[in-house]
Amino acid sequence: MKSDRLKLITTIEDLRYYLIQGMKIEHATIPPYLTALYSLKPGSNLEAFHMIRPIVVEEMLHLTLAANVFNAVGGNIEGVFTNPEFVPRYPTKLPTGEEEFLVNVGKFSKQAVKTFLNIERSKEVTQDEPLVGSRVKEEFLLSIFGYDPTKSFSSIRLFYAEVIRGLYALHKEMGDALFCGDPQKQISREYYYNGAGDIIKVTDFDSAIRALTLIQEQGEGSRTEAIYDAEKKLCHYYRFEQLELGQYYVVDKNEPLNSDKPHCPTGKTFTVDWDAVYPVKENAKLNDYPKGSELYTAAQDFQKAYSKFLEEIEDSFNGNPEKLVLAVGGMFRLRDLANSLIRNPIPGMDGVNGAPIYRLD
Amino acid sequence: MTIKSVDCQTVSKTFYDAVIVGSGVAGAIVAKQLSEQGKNVLILEAGTSRDLTLAGFQSYVETFYGAIAKHANSPYPLNLNALSPTDGLNSYFEEKGPMPLSGSYTRVTGGTTMHWQGTTLRMLPDDFKLRSKYGQGLDWPIEYTDLMPYYRKAEYEIGVSGNTKEQKELDIPFLPGYVFPMKELPPSYLDEQIREKIDGTTFDLDKETIKLKLSSFPQGRNSVPNPDYALYHGDVFVPSGVTSENPLEYGERCQGNASCVPICPVQAKYDARRTLGTIAFPDRVHLLSQAVASRVEIDPENGRVTAIHYKHYKDKNSPQYTIGTAKGRLFVLAANAIENAKLMLASELLSTSGLIGNNMMDHPFILTWALMPQVIGTMRGPLVTSGIGTFRKGKFRKQQSAFGIAIENSGWGWSGTGATDVLRDAVNRNRYGKDLRQELIDRISRQLLLAFMCELPADYSNRVTIDPQYKDRLGNYRPVIHFNISDYCKKTMADARKVSREIFKRLKAEDYTHYKNSDPAYFEYEGEGYWYRGGNHFSGTHVMGTSKHNSVVNKNLRSWDYENLYLVGSGSMPSIGTANTTLTIAALSFLASEQMLKDLNT
Repeated sequence: MKSDRLKLITTIEDLRYYLIQGMKIEHATIPPYLTALYSLKPGSNLEAFHMIRPIVVEEMLHLTLAANVFNAVGGNIEGVFTNPEFVPRYPTKLPTGEEEFLVNVGKFSKQAVKTFLNIERSKEVTQDEPLVGSRVKEEFLLSIFGYDPTKSFSSIRLFYAEVIRGLYALHKEMGDALFCGDPQKQISREYYYNGAGDIIKVTDFDSAIRALTLIQEQGEGSRTEAIYDAEKKLCHYYRFEQLELGQYYVVDKNEPLNSDKPHCPTGKTFTVDWDAVYPVKENAKLNDYPKGSELYTAAQDFQKAYSKFLEEIEDSFNGNPEKLVLAVGGMFRLRDLANSLIRNPIPGMDGVNGAPIYRLD
Repeated sequence: MTIKSVDCQTVSKTFYDAVIVGSGVAGAIVAKQLSEQGKNVLILEAGTSRDLTLAGFQSYVETFYGAIAKHANSPYPLNLNALSPTDGLNSYFEEKGPMPLSGSYTRVTGGTTMHWQGTTLRMLPDDFKLRSKYGQGLDWPIEYTDLMPYYRKAEYEIGVSGNTKEQKELDIPFLPGYVFPMKELPPSYLDEQIREKIDGTTFDLDKETIKLKLSSFPQGRNSVPNPDYALYHGDVFVPSGVTSENPLEYGERCQGNASCVPICPVQAKYDARRTLGTIAFPDRVHLLSQAVASRVEIDPENGRVTAIHYKHYKDKNSPQYTIGTAKGRLFVLAANAIENAKLMLASELLSTSGLIGNNMMDHPFILTWALMPQVIGTMRGPLVTSGIGTFRKGKFRKQQSAFGIAIENSGWGWSGTGATDVLRDAVNRNRYGKDLRQELIDRISRQLLLAFMCELPADYSNRVTIDPQYKDRLGNYRPVIHFNISDYCKKTMADARKVSREIFKRLKAEDYTHYKNSDPAYFEYEGEGYWYRGGNHFSGTHVMGTSKHNSVVNKNLRSWDYENLYLVGSGSMPSIGTANTTLTIAALSFLASEQMLKDLNT
């Protein structure tokens, strides 16, 4: 791999390259969240279900926003999602503040929630840290993408900070010529929605900054010591922390400063039933399933459907926005296929159920 | 944060700005509107309130999934302390005939929106002038244009998906540039198949040629927000979804689960809990559930309402109850047309017009069913995506009632021979495996059912009354129902059947419609037999009008006889046209709330 590529952004090519990495980062969270979500036994752990699901939806929102910026600056999205390396090989590493950690694809568990907290914390940047990583101190890694670990950013948030800095510098240099992409390729809010966050069509500098800022904020928050983002919605990190603490946070939308402080929720308590979960195989691979078994076929079917889903996403980001609705509709099939794996034991493995596989090797 | 659940003690110690009976769409909107203007309100709910939690709602979904009979109230456990009438399945209504009213409503938090289909048609301007224009039923004291701004508020509150262009073709005026908050639900494959063969054909009704044209149904169900709504509203609509005591961050789109009545498992369908769950100042709204209002107390000195007496039960499985009173400045009965009338009659309220309980209306439905020549994907999508609205208006309304046609995506279920019956029959004939699957495809996936919703104008003798011999377990009155269907409506039912024959012929569909004469709702008209099904759109039992002599409430839904009493809901509607009542109930609730605020501020 081109380990020299993650240098700071100086050309429009660099910017596009960064945005591809951004889309990979956003996508990398989807398989672990989705698998944990589907491992919940039906009707149990409603709090967890209703916390994880919208986060998955919002990660897809981030993915879409990154794609909008990418398209706006004239990137060619063809081959981005359909590249076999777009889906990481789990367990995979993700960047975090001070130390690296592994992300597994597996069942909903205390360990999984810890990992999710790590994922979301990795988007954090503290107030005293410079917004842009120092050129000398590019220490940590994005090893999932095969980079030289000495040339990475310490957090996803810093990564986007560099994208924003690069965008700003390039816009100063090139003016509006930077936004040379086809506006027809923009996904607008009518093709996508959920209660939180909003699709931003990116056609100029301002909209690009808004889109990137939204990605940054939804993870960790708009300011330090706040549990909510600019829309006064609880950030992903704190939503997951509720599962660890068994208590809801209270966000006061009218008087945001009266909201709960980080790590000290005051809302209703609830019990997480860590046992009402299917014991799915961690980081399942196709050869975990006996050849010729129904699970083997189901795993193949899921992987194919997932590839197809990514293909459709790519197609919708490539000038066919109306196809996004169909692609998302295809996720019902993914869910059903995932369930047929998750709810069945793997022959020969005592008490271990199947799990979806997101890539073939 | 949601509204505050309180106990009887809190209620007895509090003097409220307004006491509202019922937590359905009407009560919820009034509570929201008043509390947002600084008023403290109490909602008394006869049913249980576990609905406001995730687990509570989920238990309803699971009760529904586990129920053998999938009727309108099957998600809601039987509650003998506050029975929900359910198509004659329990003995709550005391039906005195000559024809059955049947139908159902739901006595839980959220009211009947907990089982409604979600159709949000506006009434036509002509519907408000049924008496003066067509010599039938009653006129409203207000016109369509008076209600227009409130329809818009209702469409925002409910979150309506629809296509204003198609509605305009039915002569429904909208403000220039106005669109519904969300785009229409995509028509089903079935709709498209029918549109191809039917659109543009005609049918002669009473010498008037009516053109058949499909249009999408506006509905309170999440779809794609319409970007043009921002032109009118200032911002694009953000759909809300799952109601919960704790914040949830998303509103899901309709996924076509096809169990809309009674319950949408992903909460893409509006119900009144959504209004209760989005009240900006929840501390100002108290909810006392399991409290059945039993009497409206009047001060004989000044003729004002002073309190609502209620019977509170701790356990729905026990007949034990305590009596309490709720006091306040203003009182709002929002318990549905039948319950409102019943409560007033039980309280022996003064009625200058003598119209409490009279003029009861509903929408009787004629159903017709057939097998399409091709597989049309029955049981997919929301229950209805399109219908034919062109019979909703016309000069023929002098002789016979108007009707709307719904194309049901859910097959023959409503006719009594649904998917379960087909399955049972096939299994009884020892079908299994591939044969069974093929038979189900053949017999279910081609099922087409047309539902003809007919107008039944207000008729004095159709009424709800009370009788001391008919009481429920808590000693509250059960509604005694006198109901009949006029020839004005029967003629249309017979014509609806003719329209269906014509449509089936054009579709080359095999007509399977048959009306058993043993059915309680069976009747004959001009030599042919039919039966109808109740529409659950009970209304008219405390109509609004121009004076205390011709109506129970004024045009602001305030009682003529008691100046601090409001009667909100479809009971105040003098006619219901061919529009499902919920949207108009919601609009009227906004209208009445404005007057209530004026009253409270003087």
